[in-house]
Amino acid sequence: MNPRPSPAAATLLEVRELAFARRDEPVFGPLNFDLAGGEIGLIEGDNGSGKTTLLRILAGLLRASSGSARVDGLAPGDPAAAGMALLLGHQLGLKADLGVRENLAVAAGLYGQREGCGITDTITEVGLDGYADVPVRQLSAGQKKRAALARLRLLPARLWLLDEPFANLDRAGIALVNRLLDVHVAGHGAALVTTHGAVSFRDHATRRIALS
Amino acid sequence: MNAHSSPTLWNRLVLWYHQMGSPPYFYAFAGRWRPWFIAATLITAVIGLYGGLLLAPADYQQGDAYRIIFIHVPCAWMSLFTYAFMAGCGLVGLVWRVKLAEILAMESAPIGAAFTFVTLVTGSLWGKPMWGAWWTWDARLTSELVLLFLYLGVIGLYHAFEDTRQGARAAAFLALIGVVNLPIVHYSVVWWNTLHQGTTVRLFGPSRITWSMLWPLLTMALSTHLYLGWSLLGRARVALLELEGGKDWARAIALEDAPHG
Amino acid sequence: MSAPSARTGYVAVLRRDLLLAWRRRGEAALPVLYALIVATLFPFALGPEGALLSRIAAGVVLVTVLLAMLLSLDGLFRPDWEDGSLEQLLLAPQPLGLLLAAKILAHWLTTALPLLLASPLLAAMLHLPTAVLPVLMAALVLATPLMSLLGALVVALTVGTRRSGMLLALMLLPLMVPVVIFAAGAVSAAQQGLPFIAPLAWLGAALVLALVLAPAACAAALRIALDA
Repeated sequence: MNPRPSPAAATLLEVRELAFARRDEPVFGPLNFDLAGGEIGLIEGDNGSGKTTLLRILAGLLRASSGSARVDGLAPGDPAAAGMALLLGHQLGLKADLGVRENLAVAAGLYGQREGCGITDTITEVGLDGYADVPVRQLSAGQKKRAALARLRLLPARLWLLDEPFANLDRAGIALVNRLLDVHVAGHGAALVTTHGAVSFRDHATRRIALS
Repeated sequence: MNAHSSPTLWNRLVLWYHQMGSPPYFYAFAGRWRPWFIAATLITAVIGLYGGLLLAPADYQQGDAYRIIFIHVPCAWMSLFTYAFMAGCGLVGLVWRVKLAEILAMESAPIGAAFTFVTLVTGSLWGKPMWGAWWTWDARLTSELVLLFLYLGVIGLYHAFEDTRQGARAAAFLALIGVVNLPIVHYSVVWWNTLHQGTTVRLFGPSRITWSMLWPLLTMALSTHLYLGWSLLGRARVALLELEGGKDWARAIALEDAPHG
Repeated sequence: MSAPSARTGYVAVLRRDLLLAWRRRGEAALPVLYALIVATLFPFALGPEGALLSRIAAGVVLVTVLLAMLLSLDGLFRPDWEDGSLEQLLLAPQPLGLLLAAKILAHWLTTALPLLLASPLLAAMLHLPTAVLPVLMAALVLATPLMSLLGALVVALTVGTRRSGMLLALMLLPLMVPVVIFAAGAVSAAQQGLPFIAPLAWLGAALVLALVLAPAACAAALRIALDA
């Protein structure tokens, strides 16, 4: 037995009785789960079950109807917790008129950079070598997704909230997401992932959260 | 003894406040009080108009034309009072997320806009014999016009959102901006007026208004307040039903009102 | 790990918005073109007599510049909202008001500054007396940032609604009335040979107040409109 808890075992996300209702119609919950550093949670649920909503609440973009969530002990939306969690949604948050490098530089200016991660290396890592200075509007859907994934790698967030990260990606792209997740988890990060494709991913997840 | 009675009064107030926050309770409460409000509105309006149009003496300068003040002035007061009420409810809704406060704020906006509109129309009707023109850039009229734009902005923003409650909160914030803005507009318009027009005809000078004119005016002011109550309670009931359409209590009311057979 | 600071965030947003405006510099010229068109139409509507035009010139330039800015306001937050980058600002560790201040500064630099540069031309077309031009420019220098700040506050409330240019004008008008009154008041006082410092001082005071309060209020408005 480990004599003292490693940082990987520390609980990063704590969800207690979390529920959400839209116009008084319950959407999901109450939910209870924990996610520790080094864990990947897979959020399962049908269309309209509130997967995206859950991620937006945990990111601090929406307010839960009841219950609480704690990211590293702080409420989502607490300024002290800002930058701790990183959301990758359907809208990728890339400016179409800027290049990949310029987009990443803006993100790094706002959120800082992960130790030992450079913008150029990150672009190479996601396979966008040679596209660093091409305006994002000229990239394919898959390449745009890769550019957004580069932001995950670059920013120092410990909790990733990934909404359908496999959408629009080819086989190599799916492998890339899994590789990024492995690196993130190895560095004691945690991730919550929604997906309805990429069945092979199920083995990857260490924890499953069902929405109904 | 006072120390004993005040907490109970306070408790009753708190209880009342919480009851009011409950939609079915408010719906029933509003339904009970509306007939009283409209009855009182009509009675006070008849008394006020009788006093103003028939009993009050004609003005030595303006003759009978001044009698429009018995509509104009209460409406002008109400245009401001309703705005203050709307902003107050909006603040409560924004800070404590009280659904009913949001509804009251948004449902008072069209009523306030109507008061403002009536003020503008009666003002320009009065302006024709007074100034010889339908419209004068008088400081009060101009501020009233800006107030109408404020109301329309609040209403427009509220309806621009698909989510009613989100729209109500955004519009309430706009109403609060208007609270800060309106005095600034008024004083800047007054300053602008002195810059461009020298002197304007003052509708209410320092001259004292006689009691025989004042009491019908105050009665009409009371009547318009009661009208606001009647209209607002009715509008709020409808809005509440719409917002709570999925709830059991709203369903029960819909079933009750449906034709049997 | 390089920690983010208020300064790096502010610079990143300012730099981003200026870069975006530069990439679409054709669009940045549109407000100037609009102002030019409106100022050209006035003499056709009112007749070319110099005396009449010089009397109304300052007011026309002022209103035209503010309306041209109004046209550009819808683009302040909407593109960021549509592509998801507004969420990144909302979630950033820096105070949102500070980041919005950077956006507002970028908006002023990219739309008001070209209009300011063009306004001597507009004034000359309308026969504004040359002696009054410095007062008009001073009024514009104070009024245009106010327009950017107040406009941002109002447009933040409309993010998340259907596109609504008319609504924006309706919401902004009450806020602009005092600005127009004092800016035009200064110029018309100068034209009549009266002291014009007082209205300019009022504008300046309003600008300082808006610089302090508007970004934070804008942040609150944005959070309300997006329910964050």
